[in-house]
Amino acid sequence: MRRSVPATVVVVVGLLLLVNYIVINPLLAGAAEAVLRLVVVLAAGAALAGGVALVHRHGGDLLRGRGDRLGSAVLLAGLAAVPIAGLYPGSQGVADPAVRWLVGALLAPLIASLFAMLFVFLLLAMREGMAIRSRQVTVMLLAAGVVIVLLLPLGGQIGASLATAADWAMAVPIGGVFRGLLIGVAVVTAVHAARVLLVVEGADD
Amino acid sequence: MTERTSRRRGFLSVPGLWPFLLVSALALGIVLDGVIGGDQLQSANPEAARAAEMAAALDALPDGALVLVAMDPDLGTYPEIRGTVRAVLDDLLGRGARLALVSFTAEGRAVAAAELQRLRAAGVDPGRLFDLGFVAGAEAGLVLSVTDLRPAAGTAPASFAAVAGGIAAFDLALVVGGVDIGPRTWAEQVTPRLPDLPIAAVVPTFLHPEVAPYLRTGQLVALLGTFRDDAAYLLAVGAPSGVRDATSSPGELPMLLGLLIALAFIGRAVASHRPGLGTAAAREPEEPA
Repeated sequence: MRRSVPATVVVVVGLLLLVNYIVINPLLAGAAEAVLRLVVVLAAGAALAGGVALVHRHGGDLLRGRGDRLGSAVLLAGLAAVPIAGLYPGSQGVADPAVRWLVGALLAPLIASLFAMLFVFLLLAMREGMAIRSRQVTVMLLAAGVVIVLLLPLGGQIGASLATAADWAMAVPIGGVFRGLLIGVAVVTAVHAARVLLVVEGADD
Repeated sequence: MTERTSRRRGFLSVPGLWPFLLVSALALGIVLDGVIGGDQLQSANPEAARAAEMAAALDALPDGALVLVAMDPDLGTYPEIRGTVRAVLDDLLGRGARLALVSFTAEGRAVAAAELQRLRAAGVDPGRLFDLGFVAGAEAGLVLSVTDLRPAAGTAPASFAAVAGGIAAFDLALVVGGVDIGPRTWAEQVTPRLPDLPIAAVVPTFLHPEVAPYLRTGQLVALLGTFRDDAAYLLAVGAPSGVRDATSSPGELPMLLGLLIALAFIGRAVASHRPGLGTAAAREPEEPA
């Protein structure tokens, strides 16, 4: 029964963290903490590698004149701006006014605008969806219509009734479906983890 | 008559007309918000249980309580809860609590830096406001912080460094959640290790179904997770300074207009659908006009 190195590492680390979760032992706790610190370093390494890969890809596009050169240039400029603002001599890091300006005046409004445009995009998608005469889209739109009615910000008795119905909808049907999905995902994850830990053939493919 | 109908249809199909009307209607709603409305419009939940639970969680804090504010919202959805978060922070400071802000996500750190700046600019005593910065490693970083969470050397008063060895040193954790790190992560990773730590949370509405069960099981002592509950809390404690202007939560009138526009689109789309025409897989899309 041959096992891959990544699967073996997963099994060892998983068992260590699981046992440390249950048993109070300073030696185990130390080992688990060391593993967690390695995970932190690994995550930082992955982020760094992602940045390098991004620069390599778009820098290459820019130098070879292929793809969207303007987009690549903007991306690289944006990628360079934040480290420069956060690392120049005398910078206060993330609390530096230049970084705060980049985030507060550029990044946050850009992302918030994208989310705000979801409203328009959803309406357009709704029209396109209905153009293909799909029953699923119809059901989805009717459900969306019901939710919208429940969210109408009205006062008085009507508003109180809508709020009560909205609370019920959130707690019962929507909450139930959502929890069902989460439980399903958790069960599949647990089964897969058990297969890996029990060395079931093919589980680490 | 036919010519008039044709002209009207021609006007209605002017390219860009509908998006223009939509944006205009929303802009009009924002401009008129507060002028029109009154008691007919209300976003606060008449059932104020969630707001009362948050108030009770803050009432239970000791004098000079040390509160850890885990700021990990998403930049895109933070505007929905910004007013509420600021109101809770102001409420805590008004009760004499000491706040320590920490983030486990990069986006959260950006928001935390902005909020710290706002609070400092508002004249909050520096001795009651600590910046614990960004902790790398997401969930792994959170687990390590249970026993090891401290500010960088020289960035916090000695009185704070002496008590804050890890999350266990805090009287309350206020989790401002997002997609990556939120109350669920805290309930999974921190509560089993620190079962006595009370955790309160503020999250955008889309996270509410995921987080609500933790309130029922008692793993969260309080949760503000819908805009109606947020509005009820703001109504109870009073909006913090600056929340009803440039940083305002959505007003009732623009919200009503937006919802009615969406409802009109849905009604028109569904009405134009003829039943019994099969599924998407069996039917080709209509040719664009």
